[in-house]
Amino acid sequence: MTAADWITAVLLPTGALFALVGTVGLVRFPTLLGRMHAAAKPDTVGLFLLLAGAACQLPDLRSAAPLVLVALFQAATVAVLAQTLGRVAYSRGEIDERHLVADELADAVERARKDAD
Amino acid sequence: MTESPGTSASAVPAARVWWRRLAARLPTVAWLTAMWVVLWGDPSPGTVVAGAAVAALCYSAARLPHIPVRLGFRPLHALRLAARVAYDMLVSSLRVAFHGVWRPRRTNGAIVAVPMRTDSDFLLAILSALLSMVTGTLVIELNRNQRVVYVHGLPVNDAGAVRGLRAQVRRTEELLVRAFGTAEDLEIFERLAGLPEEAEAAAAAAAGRAAGEHTRREGE
Amino acid sequence: MTVLDYVYAATFTMLGVGVLFVLYRLVRGPSVLDRIVCLNTISVLVVSAIVVEAAVRGDTAYVGLMVTVALLGFVGTLTAARFAERRAHDRG
Repeated sequence: MTAADWITAVLLPTGALFALVGTVGLVRFPTLLGRMHAAAKPDTVGLFLLLAGAACQLPDLRSAAPLVLVALFQAATVAVLAQTLGRVAYSRGEIDERHLVADELADAVERARKDAD
Repeated sequence: MTESPGTSASAVPAARVWWRRLAARLPTVAWLTAMWVVLWGDPSPGTVVAGAAVAALCYSAARLPHIPVRLGFRPLHALRLAARVAYDMLVSSLRVAFHGVWRPRRTNGAIVAVPMRTDSDFLLAILSALLSMVTGTLVIELNRNQRVVYVHGLPVNDAGAVRGLRAQVRRTEELLVRAFGTAEDLEIFERLAGLPEEAEAAAAAAAGRAAGEHTRREGE
Repeated sequence: MTVLDYVYAATFTMLGVGVLFVLYRLVRGPSVLDRIVCLNTISVLVVSAIVVEAAVRGDTAYVGLMVTVALLGFVGTLTAARFAERRAHDRG
C-alpha cells in the first residue's frame, strides 16, 4: 500500500457515504424542497471526493485530466438544476408552509400586489 | 435567456471591430478546443487543430449572442472565496445529512430575502450559482431591479438561523465582489455596505416602488 | 484480497444501496418534481460508479461515457423541469 492507495482508501468510501446519506435524506425529508437539498448536493460533494480518490489511482496526470472535466460539468449543472427546480417548485406552489419558518418572497409578492391596488 | 442585445458592431464600421469581435470570442473557442483535446486524451497538434476547427465551426453556426465579460480578478480573495465555498459545501452537507437521517420531520426551512450590494449581472449570476451549489442554500428568485435574492435555506428553525443564513449569503457575496468585481463594482459595494441594513432595505424597496416594480418572475 | 479491494467493494455497495433508496422515492413520488430529482440523482450516482470503476481499472477510458451520461442527465432533467413549469402555467 502506497500513500496514494491510503488516500484512495479514505476518499472513496467517504465520497460514497456522502452520496448514500444524501439519498437517505431524499427518502426521509417530508418536503419537496428538503428532498431537493438532500438529493443533489451531498451527491455532488460525494462525487468530488470520489473523483479525488480515483485520481490517486491513475498512472499520470494526463489520464486524470478528464476527471477535472467531470468535476467542472457537475459543479455547473448542479447549480443550474437546483435553481431551476427550486423555482419550478415554488411557481407550482409545491411548498409546504408548515415546514417554513419564514417566506419573505410571498411577503414581497403580497406587498407588491397591495402597492399596485 | 432574453433576446440577444445586439452587438455594438452595428454602430461602428464592421472592418474596424472585426478583430475585436474575434478576440472577444476567442476564449470560448479556446475552452471548447481544450475540452475536445481532453476528451480525446491526446494533446497532439492534429487533435488541437481539428478541435479548434470544430469549435470555431460550431460557435459560428450557433450564432450565440456575445456578452462582454467585465470582471476583475484578485487571486488572494479568489482563494478565500474558494475555501469558503468548499467549507460551506462540506459543512452544510454534513448538517443536512444529519437532519435528514435523525430528525427530518422536525427540520424546517425558510425563504429569506437578502438585499445585495452588487449591481453587476455577472457577479449576481455567479453568486446565485455558488449559493445553489452549497447544500443548505438554494436561490428561488432574483429580483434584479431591487437587487434582492430570495434564498431557501435548510435547516432553518428559528429567527436566529434566518439571520445566520442572511449573514452567510452576504459574506459569500462580499468575498465574491472582492475576488472578481471590477473597481467600479467594489466601489458600489463599499458604498452600500456602509449603510445600515434597514436603511438599505428601505432604499431598495423605495426604488422598486418608484419604478412600479412587481416581484417579477425572472425569465431564463 | 487487498485493502483496496475491500474499499472498492464497500464503495460500490454504498452507491448501489443509494440507488435503491432513490428508486423507492421514484416510485413513491408524490410530486412529478420528486421523480425528476430522482432521475437526476440516479444519473449522478451512475457517473459516481463509473468514476470508481476508473479507479479500479487505473485508466479513464470510460470518461467519454461518463461525460455523456452526466450531460444527458442534465439536459433531460432541465427539459423535464421546464415542461413541468409550462404545464403549471397552462392550468393556472
